[in-house]
Amino acid sequence: MLELKKFRKKSPWILHFNAGGCNGCDIEILACLAPKYDIERFGMINTGNPKQSDILLITGPVTKRTRERLVEVYNQMPEPKVVVCCGSCASTGGIFRGMYNIEGGVDQFIPVDVYVAGCACRPEQIIDGVVVALGILEEKTKDIEKTIRLANEPVTEDGQVNRRKMPAEYNIEKTV
Amino acid sequence: MQSIIILSILVLLAPVIGGIVYGIERKVKARMQNRMGPSIWQPFYDFMKLADKRLIMVHSTHAFLGIMHFVSIWVAVAVLIFGGDLILVIFLHLLSTALLIMGGFSTRSIFSHIGANRSAISILAYEPVLIIIAVSVYAVNGSFQISSIFQHDPLLYKMPLAFIALLLILPIKLKKSPFDVAEAHQEIAGGAEIEYSGIFFEALYTAKWLDYIFVYALVFLFGGSNYLLGAGLVIGTFFYVNALDNSSARVDYRQMLKFSYFVALPVAFISLLITLFN
Repeated sequence: MLELKKFRKKSPWILHFNAGGCNGCDIEILACLAPKYDIERFGMINTGNPKQSDILLITGPVTKRTRERLVEVYNQMPEPKVVVCCGSCASTGGIFRGMYNIEGGVDQFIPVDVYVAGCACRPEQIIDGVVVALGILEEKTKDIEKTIRLANEPVTEDGQVNRRKMPAEYNIEKTV
Repeated sequence: MQSIIILSILVLLAPVIGGIVYGIERKVKARMQNRMGPSIWQPFYDFMKLADKRLIMVHSTHAFLGIMHFVSIWVAVAVLIFGGDLILVIFLHLLSTALLIMGGFSTRSIFSHIGANRSAISILAYEPVLIIIAVSVYAVNGSFQISSIFQHDPLLYKMPLAFIALLLILPIKLKKSPFDVAEAHQEIAGGAEIEYSGIFFEALYTAKWLDYIFVYALVFLFGGSNYLLGAGLVIGTFFYVNALDNSSARVDYRQMLKFSYFVALPVAFISLLITLFN
C-alpha cells in the first residue's frame, strides 16, 4: 500500500489572502518565492486558488469589508487545511486596532494555527511559520483519520441530540 | 507483436513520463531564474497529496467533464504513439480541450467562464496551423498515417517552415508565456481549472503532463526515420519553450490571435504551398 502521508508534507500549496493590510507583509511573502529564499524548493506554490491549496497565509487586519470574504475563502478550502497569520496586524490587529473600519485579528473569525510576529514579518520567519504549520497539517490529517467512539450517552435537549455537547473520546488503537 | 507490447507499455507509462518531463521543466525553469527549484519528483508528490485531500465537487457533470478531459487526451496520446491518423490525433486533442471548455462553462464561477472563453480563443489561434502542418505532411508523404512518417526521411529537411510555424504556436498550446492567457495564474487563477479540487484537479494535473507528451511527440515526428534528430529537436524545443516562458511577459488574447493569424498561419501556409509545388 502506498504511504500517502509521506507526501503530504512535501507539496504544501499556499493561498495568500490580504485581509486589508498595508502590503508590507505581502511583499515579504513574495520575497519568499523570489530567488533568495525560494520556497518552491520545498514544493510550495502560490496557487491563488482556495480549492487547491493547503495553507492559508493571511496578512493584514480584518476589515468590515473583508471579513465575509475571509470566512468564504476559508470555507472553500478542502480539509486538511492550516491557517497562518503573517504579521502583527493579522494576529492581533496591530497598529490598526481600534480603528472604525477594523474588526481586529483573524482569530476572531476563523481558527488560526500559527501566528508569525513582526511588522513586517521577515521572510525567514514566514518560512519558519510555514514549517511549523506543516507539522500541524500532519497532526490534523491524523485527527481526521481517527475513529471516534462516544464515551457515554449523548446529551439530549428537547428530544433532540445536541451535537455540541456530545462527549467523545479518541481511541484509535483499541477500536480498529 | 513485440513492438505492440512495447508501444502499449509506452502508452501506459505516458503520464509517468509526462510527470518526469514536468518535473525537469520546473527544475530547468528554476535554474534559469537562478533558484534551486523543487526536486524532479515534485509533480508526483503533488499527485499523492491531491489524492489525499477531501473531496469537494461542484456538481457531477463538472467533475465528469474534467475526468473525460484526461481520458480523451490519453486516447489522443495513445493513437499518436501507435502511429494512427495525424488528423484524428489532432481532433482527439481538440475534443479533450473542448471537454475542458465545457467543464469551465458548467460552473457559475466567473473566472472559470473567462478561462474557458480564453481556452476557446487559443484553440482558434493554434488549431488552423496544426491542421495545415498535417496537410503538408500529407503532401510530402502521401499519407496521414504517423507510422508512414517514420519510414521516410526527416520532415524537417522537407518542410523547415512548418517546423518554425509549430515552434511559434507551441507556447499557445502549452499555455506558456507570452501566450498563457488561458490559464494566467496571477490574473484568473488557472482559468477553466479553477473550480476543480482534490482528485478531480488531479485528473487535470495529469492531463497537463500528457499534454507535454503529446506536444513533444508532435515535435519528434519531424525527425522522421532519424530518431536521433527527433530527440535533438525535442530537447531543443524544450529549452526554447522554457527560455521563452521565462523571458517574456503575457500578451492579451487579441495580440495572441493577431500573432497567430498574421505570423504563424502565413508561415505554415507558405510551407504548404512550397511542399505542394515541389
